[in-house]
Amino acid sequence: MVDLLRPTSWFGSPDPKLAANKEFFTNFDQRRPLVDYSFVVVDTELTGLDRKKDELISVGAVKISNLQIDLSSMFHEFVRPAKMEHTLATLVHRITPEQLENAESIESVLPKFLDYIHGSLLVGHHLMLDMHFLNKAAKNIMGGTLSNPGVDTMRMAQGYNRVRLGHYHDHNPREISYNLDDLGQEYNLPAFKPHDALEDALQTAYLFLYLIKKFRKGGLVTLRDIYQSGRVGSFRY
Amino acid sequence: MSQSDDVHTVAPEMAISFFKEIMPFNSLDDVTLSRIATHCRVDFYPKGTRLLTAGETDITHLYLIQRGGVKAFIEDDQGEISLKDFRGEGAYVGALGIIRGTPANLNIETVEDTFCFLLPREIFLELVEGTPAFAQFYLKSFSEKIVNTAYNELRHHKVSQRSGDDLYLFSVRVGDLVKTLRKIPGDASIQDAAAFMVEFKVGSLLIHDPDDDDNIVGIVTDKDLRGKVVAAGLGYDQPVETIMSGPVQSVLSQSLCFDVLLKMMETGIHHLAVERSERVIGVVTSHDIMLLQGHSPYYLFKEIRGQQKISGLYDLAQKIPEVIRGLINEGAKAGNITQMIAILNDHILERMLTLLEAELGPPPVPYCWLLMGSEGRREQTFKTDQDNAILYADPQSEEEKQAAETYFAAFAKKAIDHLVNCGYPLCPGEIMAINPKWCQPLSVWKGYFTKWINSPDPTELLHASIFFDFRSGFGDGTLARQLRRHLNAESRKQDIFLFHLARQCMSTRIPLSFFKNFIVNKDGEHKNHLNIKQKGLTPFVNFARVLSLKHTISETNTLARLKALHDGDFIDHRLWAAATDAYELQMQQRLIHQLAQIEEGVLPDNHIDPAQLSDLERRMLKEAFTVVEKLYSVLDRMYPTA
Repeated sequence: MVDLLRPTSWFGSPDPKLAANKEFFTNFDQRRPLVDYSFVVVDTELTGLDRKKDELISVGAVKISNLQIDLSSMFHEFVRPAKMEHTLATLVHRITPEQLENAESIESVLPKFLDYIHGSLLVGHHLMLDMHFLNKAAKNIMGGTLSNPGVDTMRMAQGYNRVRLGHYHDHNPREISYNLDDLGQEYNLPAFKPHDALEDALQTAYLFLYLIKKFRKGGLVTLRDIYQSGRVGSFRY
Repeated sequence: MSQSDDVHTVAPEMAISFFKEIMPFNSLDDVTLSRIATHCRVDFYPKGTRLLTAGETDITHLYLIQRGGVKAFIEDDQGEISLKDFRGEGAYVGALGIIRGTPANLNIETVEDTFCFLLPREIFLELVEGTPAFAQFYLKSFSEKIVNTAYNELRHHKVSQRSGDDLYLFSVRVGDLVKTLRKIPGDASIQDAAAFMVEFKVGSLLIHDPDDDDNIVGIVTDKDLRGKVVAAGLGYDQPVETIMSGPVQSVLSQSLCFDVLLKMMETGIHHLAVERSERVIGVVTSHDIMLLQGHSPYYLFKEIRGQQKISGLYDLAQKIPEVIRGLINEGAKAGNITQMIAILNDHILERMLTLLEAELGPPPVPYCWLLMGSEGRREQTFKTDQDNAILYADPQSEEEKQAAETYFAAFAKKAIDHLVNCGYPLCPGEIMAINPKWCQPLSVWKGYFTKWINSPDPTELLHASIFFDFRSGFGDGTLARQLRRHLNAESRKQDIFLFHLARQCMSTRIPLSFFKNFIVNKDGEHKNHLNIKQKGLTPFVNFARVLSLKHTISETNTLARLKALHDGDFIDHRLWAAATDAYELQMQQRLIHQLAQIEEGVLPDNHIDPAQLSDLERRMLKEAFTVVEKLYSVLDRMYPTA
């Protein structure tokens, strides 16, 4: 009876995948040790930075479980943009026009991605931007947004540097570049090729692993500790 | 889940390019590499993280260092830490434990922020089992690592506790050290004193009261002559007592060397008179005590060279194992060690025969003391039977012949006795200069070789094979060279003799996969033991000998022969490399075995108990034995039976 009363057909119901995802994180426990969580580090390539006009052209992601990067299941999909002509003109990525022309549309890529991230926290460098485009697509296609909690490595790095360089140290935060590649150099991480969604996701994963273990060494052992210490992310976008 | 399949097939490029740059992964094809890469995980260990704990951590994956570095160390019962190794980017950790199926054998800790690829144990083992080149890489690198570890363990648990250099200082009394008393009356001239010191090769001289020989009034040293005479322009005809230091500081002959050393350090006086029953019996110098303390080959070498009496060589020869232990302490390898043993033995021999010649008078004709077998090949370890012979120039007359026979018979008898006293056991096969058959002029020796080569009797040849490894140990080396030239010329003509040698070589069965993977001696004292010399090393020695004779290579050392064969393009590079590795590995294993026996006070032998070997050591030995098969197939093609 209740089912009949649900206005699913009227508003365009949230996709069952989205619903399951939301369900999973409804009573999410933040107090478990960090190793217990599964993370997905994500990076997207966009046609541009205009939040209204631009669109996704590739999504790369790697999984982290047991606080180790799992190379056995990586996610890398190109997305055929709706406005192909416009995209090709502005292409700065390592993506060839053929790759885009042969790619699947966001309608088929997004559900795969949703399967991939199910049950995992999302990690990204300046995650807000990636989430904006992913959620925009999710709303259009599946009638809802992603419920996965997120962690932003850029904020983590800011928090880490604050501790490392001293809270009261008289430095201008603008002097430190929080660009992904620059942080990689600062922390002496292995370098990856920029402007490729998967490589950038890997680079971010290395950064995340580096920071979270440095945090852990400093006594922050649960997800909640991490959130509370430096406001490194948020539950919702 | 078909849609996620293509998701999973993304091969991590960065992992593949990492593997392509490191050994032995770079030998794998792209398909295998991307399969391996997808099985890997990446972990990060901040600086100071403990990865493995010796004896505790079960190793679930191989660590491959992508960025950063680790240190490997051991902590002993007393909590003392000894650093073993640093490993950096591209290096691995944990392979040994995975292959042997044992917990970690070293503590591993990161010394920098470190990223590692983790390759699961099962995948790694699959690679080791399935890829020969892969397995070989690890086996080879272990052979060194294991040997190092084995040395280190020996050093820790056996060597250092007993060898304790200072022990000598606490056990030797100064009276045992003192040299013959050299003294001169105080009214003798400085020049006479100096001449006296030169004559007796001493650096100091005691000065006695001209009226009382027993009343020591002072001492003169090289330094006094330098400082008080030459530099000061003092006349050489002055009485020596004007430059002496007196009264002489003395110690009692029963004092421990340690106390004497203390006294020297306290007073700054390096020459002390040694008294027994209130009489000065000689002088002891700081140098004498340092000699006692040092077991360096150099000290021993100098001591041997300076020895004036043959009986003095007995003790020096017994010190050789001590010196060798010192070398192992410093991490020397089997090849170097056997060479050092050969050099020291050669010096003992040289000094002994020189002194013997002085005792018996000069020989009637030139001669050469030949060394055979392992001595001839410079491959002795701790157990070295005598294998020697005398080769002398052909006498020109009947009298000379008689004189030579008499002289060399007496010479050989004394030499062999002295060698026994030095700790070189008699040869059970009586291949010694004391045996008249092996104490002969050049023409007779040439005849022996001609007979062995031209009409080989297989049984006789078997016993004679060690003669083909002869070299000159002492005396007139041109005689040995003439004999070698004769041998080379003869063997070139006669392939039938090489055929017999080759066939004999192949008659030693390869000790593979029989008795639980090992053929071991099933009878007698060493039941279930593997004679590593007979079964393991001899095939290599024989192979190198046959081919060297065939190609008239005069080298006698097996590794040198193999190298000469390779350089002359008589064996291919891979066979040479494999044979050299396998041979050295076994030499190493044998040396460790014998060293352990010496440490336990057991007479060293060649019988290794496979049960005492680790899985890996067994694998390594098996690997070495498979090389023997390759050697045999080379010989078989060269000298087919059909």
